[in-house]
Amino acid sequence: MGDDFDETSDAQLVTCVARGDEAALAEVYRRHGGAVFGLARRVTGSVAEAEDVTQEVFLRLWNKPEAFDPDRGALRSFLLTQSHARAVDAVRSRAARSRRERRDAGRTPRAGYDVAREAWDHVLAEEVRRALSALSDDERRAIELAYFEGRTYVEVASMLHEPEGTIKSRIRKGMSRMRGALSASGVQGLER
Amino acid sequence: MMSHDDAASLLAALSLHAVEPEEEARVEAHVRTCARCQLELDALRETAAALGTSVEALPDDLWSTIAARLDGPSVTPRGVLDARRASRGRLATVPRALALAAAAAIVVLAVGLVNANSKVSRLQGALALARQGVVAEALATPGHRVVNLTAGAARVAEFVLVPGGRGYLVASSMPALAADRTYQLWAIVNGSPISLGLLGPAPRSVAFTLAGTSATILAITVEPAGGSVRPTSSPVADGRIAA
Repeated sequence: MGDDFDETSDAQLVTCVARGDEAALAEVYRRHGGAVFGLARRVTGSVAEAEDVTQEVFLRLWNKPEAFDPDRGALRSFLLTQSHARAVDAVRSRAARSRRERRDAGRTPRAGYDVAREAWDHVLAEEVRRALSALSDDERRAIELAYFEGRTYVEVASMLHEPEGTIKSRIRKGMSRMRGALSASGVQGLER
Repeated sequence: MMSHDDAASLLAALSLHAVEPEEEARVEAHVRTCARCQLELDALRETAAALGTSVEALPDDLWSTIAARLDGPSVTPRGVLDARRASRGRLATVPRALALAAAAAIVVLAVGLVNANSKVSRLQGALALARQGVVAEALATPGHRVVNLTAGAARVAEFVLVPGGRGYLVASSMPALAADRTYQLWAIVNGSPISLGLLGPAPRSVAFTLAGTSATILAITVEPAGGSVRPTSSPVADGRIAA
């Protein structure tokens, strides 16, 4: 197609996707596919499941682009929210089995990725690490179990032998602190 | 229906998809009716997404698998593509029941009621304020008041007023106007409309000052692009400011 989307904003890309422009979807995939896949793999611990999740997320964007509302946040956040929800579903649907058993090694690195975006991701990752370190150990533990292990706060409470209300409030306080730290550092959301 | 406070206490867990399904459904039901919770949830999801950002190399063949599953225009005859376009309609600009405040840049209308009466206020410039920060702060301010403006029975805009006179448009579902029109915000003081400023043709987050007055009503009219000294049409939306 030869479309050059370098200067095209994420929101404009989605508009093109809505018109049925496959090259625009490919560009969204190039920009955000690695993050969508990375989160799904981290949560599911499985390359195969992460591939399924990634497919679903991009097919949904293709079939239902109007679900993305640029006023409500960045495209990447939108995609990651869905990736996470689907990954958690996958984890919960096989809750009986041990995730560890199914963990497989990563595959060969390869991403259609450009330096500017990569640099931005590194900045973000650094800020996130910094923000995480601002949390108490208890808050961080609760958030990590919920987010990366796909546990509900009720499950986290039972795992840690704490009252549910305590975990709920740790998650709340921790997320609020993270958010404060991220916005203070100027990394507001995920806009480039 | 879950209470606002109960729902608000669960938004962080919800943003992590860490609420049990039955409870999750009840929180989501509340969020759909509560602009404040929706705004808060959107912000928390941004934070969660930042937390979840660890870009990984994509498997080589994944894109071709996805591409093969598209109802692909690249292999679709023209007519079908056009039908697809027609069926899609407009994208993303479709307002939700109460579309949320947006735009990283919040336009600040620096107007005091004291001198706003004589002339239409002007935009003082766009400040790159983090919308969530400002709005969240307003909502966290003790004594803040929420003013809902309605058109008929429908809520079309939500304002938050904080003690001291600052006010913010935090949510709007008003349709975009032609470029030569603007929404204009008025306070009704002692029965007379006083301009609080222009909201623009497609209002998003707007901050204004409502200083030292006994305004009882906020109203919005549609005016020519430069704004009007007095309303030239009936309000398209209005709402009472609770004492």
